[in-house]
Amino acid sequence: MTGGRRDRLAGFAFVGPFLALYAFLLIYPLFMGIGLSFHRADLFGARRFVGFENYARAFADPIAWQALWNTFKLTVLIVLPLTAITLALALALNRATRGAAIFRGIFFASSVLSVTIVTLIWRFILTPDAGLVAKIVTTLGGTPPPFLSDPNLTIPALAITTIWWSVGFPMMLFLAGLQQIPADMYEAAALDNAGPWTRLFKITLPSLRRTLILVIMLQTAAQLQLFGQAQLLTAGGPSGASRPVVLLIFEVAFGRWELGYAAALAELLFLLVLSVTFIQYWAVGRAAKEER
Amino acid sequence: MNPRARLSPAALVAVTIGAAIMLAPLLWTILLSLKANSELMRDTASAFSGPYTLENYRAILVGSSVTHWLLNSLIVSLGTTAGVLILCSLAGYGFARLDFPFRRSLFVFVLLGLAIPEQAVILPRHQLFAWLHLHNSYPGLILPGLVAPFGVFFMTQYFRAIPVELDEAAMLDGASRFTLFWKVLLPLTRPAQATLGVFTFLGSWNDYWWPLISATRSARFTLTVGLASAQMNYAQTSGLGFLMAQAVFASLPILIVYIIFQKQIVAAMAGAAVR
Amino acid sequence: MKRLRGLVAGLVLAALAGGCGTGPKKTEITLQRFFGECGAVYGHSIDVGAAEGECGIVTTLINRFQAENPDIQVDVNVVAWPGYPQLTAQIAAGDPPDLVTMHQSVISDYQGRGLLEPMDGVLGEAGIGPEAITPAGLRGVTKAGHLYGMAWDTIGGLFHVNTRLFAQAGLLKDGKPILPTSADELLVQARQFKTRTGKPYLVQSEVSDAASFVRNFYGYVMAQGGVLFADRRHSRFATPEGARVVQLFRTIEQEKLTTLNQDTPAAIASFMNGEGGIYPTGTWMIGAFDQEAKTTGRPLSGAYAVFPYPHLWGRDAAFVDGHAWVMPKRVRTAAERAAVVRFLKFMAAHNFDWTRTGHLPAFRAVYASPEFRALPHRSDIAPLAAIGVQLPGYVQRQSAIQGLLGEELTSAVTGTKPVERALRDGERRVDELLDQIP
Repeated sequence: MTGGRRDRLAGFAFVGPFLALYAFLLIYPLFMGIGLSFHRADLFGARRFVGFENYARAFADPIAWQALWNTFKLTVLIVLPLTAITLALALALNRATRGAAIFRGIFFASSVLSVTIVTLIWRFILTPDAGLVAKIVTTLGGTPPPFLSDPNLTIPALAITTIWWSVGFPMMLFLAGLQQIPADMYEAAALDNAGPWTRLFKITLPSLRRTLILVIMLQTAAQLQLFGQAQLLTAGGPSGASRPVVLLIFEVAFGRWELGYAAALAELLFLLVLSVTFIQYWAVGRAAKEER
Repeated sequence: MNPRARLSPAALVAVTIGAAIMLAPLLWTILLSLKANSELMRDTASAFSGPYTLENYRAILVGSSVTHWLLNSLIVSLGTTAGVLILCSLAGYGFARLDFPFRRSLFVFVLLGLAIPEQAVILPRHQLFAWLHLHNSYPGLILPGLVAPFGVFFMTQYFRAIPVELDEAAMLDGASRFTLFWKVLLPLTRPAQATLGVFTFLGSWNDYWWPLISATRSARFTLTVGLASAQMNYAQTSGLGFLMAQAVFASLPILIVYIIFQKQIVAAMAGAAVR
Repeated sequence: MKRLRGLVAGLVLAALAGGCGTGPKKTEITLQRFFGECGAVYGHSIDVGAAEGECGIVTTLINRFQAENPDIQVDVNVVAWPGYPQLTAQIAAGDPPDLVTMHQSVISDYQGRGLLEPMDGVLGEAGIGPEAITPAGLRGVTKAGHLYGMAWDTIGGLFHVNTRLFAQAGLLKDGKPILPTSADELLVQARQFKTRTGKPYLVQSEVSDAASFVRNFYGYVMAQGGVLFADRRHSRFATPEGARVVQLFRTIEQEKLTTLNQDTPAAIASFMNGEGGIYPTGTWMIGAFDQEAKTTGRPLSGAYAVFPYPHLWGRDAAFVDGHAWVMPKRVRTAAERAAVVRFLKFMAAHNFDWTRTGHLPAFRAVYASPEFRALPHRSDIAPLAAIGVQLPGYVQRQSAIQGLLGEELTSAVTGTKPVERALRDGERRVDELLDQIP
């Protein structure tokens, strides 16, 4: 490639604009946030250095642990069923028929809606007084489950809403992955008289490994940061039973005005997301090595 | 596609039930929006039978801010999308094709950004924008969205996949680096632009936390914030039909766009996986 | 792609153009309020007399002010109740509104940090002196010896009663509902009510309504002479008085003498549909329920009465609060300040209209006026003004405390946590919060 000063200048000119914004709007606030977490600060400028006090407080705070546990429950309750459902859907709808196209369209439609619309819709599905589920259950003679107020039901309620909302994108990823599997693999299997389940477990799933990992990693990272549904559908209630970490950060910062503590919680969440992602990456790498 | 073109009956039933579950909430919302508020206040089951009315939609056109919120969301999302496409294409080309000092390190530097979640930066960013007087403004809503490490990664990969011979041919004809980028290579990245564009647009359309704390004046409310504020008032008691009509009204543009451009959107999203 | 670029360019131009002002120079002030959004029903109507409910009345009042003052442009920002996260974000961003509705209990939070303007001067110019305001209102807005808001009303909890169901339960005498005079009597009457009507005695909003639990708790603890906040850093909830109150509501919950799992809209609908005897909510619902009672053919038709919370322990006391218009600290031109003065003067003059919502007036003149007395049910609830008490002035962060305490009280009443533990957790969390205040 032709080198020279011109090229170097051109290089900086091309990447410069993005890098400038990136440094200013992502990296700088990141360090600001870390600094903030070592202070006792409010939103209006008061600031006092307190070292690791905020972190110590987070580790001793039962509310923070409750939020962490809620986040964990939500992530597991969403990611596992979502992956299974979207994989099954992709397998079922991976054909060229018009019917399949219509079905794919239906399953993807919910993904284009924004979180506030989705929560509004689902509030009036789940609420025990006026919701659709309540009306159906009462007609059948039962008592409507209080999805939005029973501490055991609020997290499942958020999970159901999120799964309904998120089906589209993973399904698309799986479909794309399926389409990359060479047809001759299936032909070879047909020659060997392999049944559908053998085809599934010996050819399809292994070929989809990369997509599967991608879906799980993306969804895990996304659900660890769940916010809108919890705030609008259950307000994190009752009494914090469905309050994930991000909602806690919001309430601490804008409700309790404890900016330093909120920053510390945010850094801890950051570490959590980072470690979970790395662990998944590493576990996948290990599994791949073992296969070889 | 799968050579087997027939779906087993069990699978067909399952998929149909699934589709019904996907559609039922939307249909319920539409039914609620077509009933008078007073009837719904007594019993929402009245939505299952007539009489239906378009009163709530008339009320929107008269006195709701939904159109205003839609416009704001549109401006912000389109602005963000345009900005991301431009910045990430430029940067992607730079990283893929040009040799400059620290290129590799800078690229890794950008990739690290993929691991940084919004919460780690949103509070300090709020302070930063306060100092810059950028709150309650379109730039204030668009700028954070322009920081898209994924976009740079994506475009870099795409540019790398284009054969270098094309560059050399164009350079032999005396084209400058920029002309090469603009006239020759960029048009070749159309599928990637579509993918990244759709991604960015939907992400920006759906953004909630940042507009919630930055666009606090109703003049700058985006759709997400506006609908959230409408939800949290007592509208649910006396104005349920109206509230649902707003939800339907707010969903219509994006759903229509989706139905029209379904093929392209799906192809674009699928394209993301292949890379 | 080209079309898209054209569209983007067009929108950007539209956005820029939209920002430009047109027409003669108007003084612009920004006003932020909660109370809901009802533009669809009231639009630009200035007919205050015909408006109903908090949203309707405040919307028409502001519209009318606009109409009568064409040289002032009022930008109204409606926020979801209570609007404090938004206000906080705006102040932190350095761009707060000119006027904001604020609960009197919250004023000290912002005033304590120097974020509000003292309003003695502005109110003086508007012709509003401290002597014109009711004692409750004055207590609510006076901090550190200065007025930090224009008191607009006094609000408190009330027992809204369905008299038809009470008659059915045998609890109606001479047309007036029989209310308990002690905690034990309440349980007896509640059980009787349930047996005779098959419906729960109370309709309660327990979901996402921390305020209602806290109101009940504060009011009845103060009635017993209990101290809720020993000083500005220490709360006292795990007391015998506190436990007594929570235990009563826990018993009501256990015996299903109340509706369950309802949020506020559901509870309101429930009461209006005649599904319970009493809805303990506040002054703000009088307008709506009275309206419902006047409509024929409804379960509540002609069957609505309202009273202050019954005496259950100790003396008569009720927890009250109030709304006020406050001015966040910001740079204002002389013209803007004058506009604010005119607005406050207008609102003060129309305080009677505001009281049609059910809230008690903030101005003595309105309180004493025959029109106010003639409003339905006002004579029944008049004692509220006399027995109403607020938290001591040194208690800050009352809005945040309400959220924390409300969570713990909800746990205690619904049985998720034992009463003792919930109250102690409440103390701990509130003390942590108070400790953070510089």
